[in-house]
Amino acid sequence: MTYAIRLTVNGHVETADVPASMTLLELLRERLHLTGTKEGCGIGECGACTVLLDGKPVTSCLVLAVEVDGCTVETIEGEASDGELSTLQQAFVDGGAIQCGFCTPGMIMSARALLRRNPDPSDKEIVEAIAGNLCRCTGYEAIVAAIRTAAERQRGTGGGSHD
Amino acid sequence: MRCGRSGCLAGRPRSPMIDTEENPFARLRRTGFTSERTAVFEYVRPNTVEDACRALAEGGGGARILAGGTDLLVEIRNRLRMPNLLIDIKRVPVLNVVETDSSGTLSIGAAVSLGCVMETAAIRDRYPGLAQAAGSIATYQLRNRATVAGNLCNASPAADMAPILLALSARLLARSPAGEREIPMTQFFTGVKQTCLTADEMVCRVIVPPHSEGLRTAFVKQQRIRGHDLAIVNAAGAYDPGSGVLCVAIGSCAPTPVLLEPVDVHESRGTDAADTVIDRAGAATAPISDVRASAEYRRAVLPVLLTRLLDELLGEEGRR
Repeated sequence: MTYAIRLTVNGHVETADVPASMTLLELLRERLHLTGTKEGCGIGECGACTVLLDGKPVTSCLVLAVEVDGCTVETIEGEASDGELSTLQQAFVDGGAIQCGFCTPGMIMSARALLRRNPDPSDKEIVEAIAGNLCRCTGYEAIVAAIRTAAERQRGTGGGSHD
Repeated sequence: MRCGRSGCLAGRPRSPMIDTEENPFARLRRTGFTSERTAVFEYVRPNTVEDACRALAEGGGGARILAGGTDLLVEIRNRLRMPNLLIDIKRVPVLNVVETDSSGTLSIGAAVSLGCVMETAAIRDRYPGLAQAAGSIATYQLRNRATVAGNLCNASPAADMAPILLALSARLLARSPAGEREIPMTQFFTGVKQTCLTADEMVCRVIVPPHSEGLRTAFVKQQRIRGHDLAIVNAAGAYDPGSGVLCVAIGSCAPTPVLLEPVDVHESRGTDAADTVIDRAGAATAPISDVRASAEYRRAVLPVLLTRLLDELLGEEGRR
């Protein structure tokens, strides 16, 4: 049996017929071909699949597609606009906060939610916000610094390009 | 449909769950969800508690309540549980409410997330130990999904919400076609991953009875790493400086979380209330060795953790 769902993904209304067992992550990657969101562990431990569901970061591997019927989802693909990187993305590039890049989409989405609820986070608050995003190669120092830089740039430019 | 095997009831349709159970190769292959695989369960999203209850009763033993899904979906993925129906209660309005009535009774709906508990000023200010326990669970992303009631219904011996709710004398409001009943937290857990809920019964609310104004609460947890982890040992306490009553509960040291017999701190003048609590904790727990720690380590760390807890709760009063 499949279920008809309708959701908004990065501002676009999408409809799909999904089996109950399909996760939001699978819907995004396999049906909508938004492959920026990564599957790491598949059990909510690593945060690589983090997306914003109605504005809040969640691990999309532990959300069923059928559960998000009527909801709003934001993914890494919604960050850049008109070919321009978002302030956060640019700060990651400038700060060398990307090495293999696998954790980066999830990191950016967690950081995006943090900067929305707290435009001037302390390093402790940044660390707490990305505690659910594991990075095994870049190192957290550069990532925390990049988020701090993005926060400063956004405040300096009156809120950045996405808020 | 006839299943064509002796021992099966003729004419009774076989569920996909049974098919999967009987085919070990299918089980091995199905290590995760993917779109190509057949749906092994169905899904309903009731709008009322009544509808949720009815679906649960009609679903028989194969139906499960889906709240945050952060435990259930992992269990399904790992084939530890194979429900044939998930009943999503997140859009039942009354189950999303945190409220305090005029008597001071706090009530947390079964769909309320841990993140919501942490952000609710009425809880943070009144029962900081409850907010601390919620904040110690998993990560920001998971706390946006995981629920207080789900943490309890999963019935892990390490459930971080259990000790503080035991110490606060909480009750669970459960509902089934037979009606509603209130289950004291002390009776809820019956074993590792087991509760006293019947197959057709769902938890609707977690109820914390009124406590005196000056009540102090705290939660402590020992884990392997500084980031998110399950508890090696956790403990929580509620202390009323007016009456001198101190309630302490401990998790991860027995098949179920354990509430110790209350200690009267005023009466224990001259002796150390902490010693009494530590003695009772030793007698009431039976830690085992597992992937997170050895039984010996748990026994050794428990008094340390309890001393920290009591320092926080009693302050100067604890050091007579």
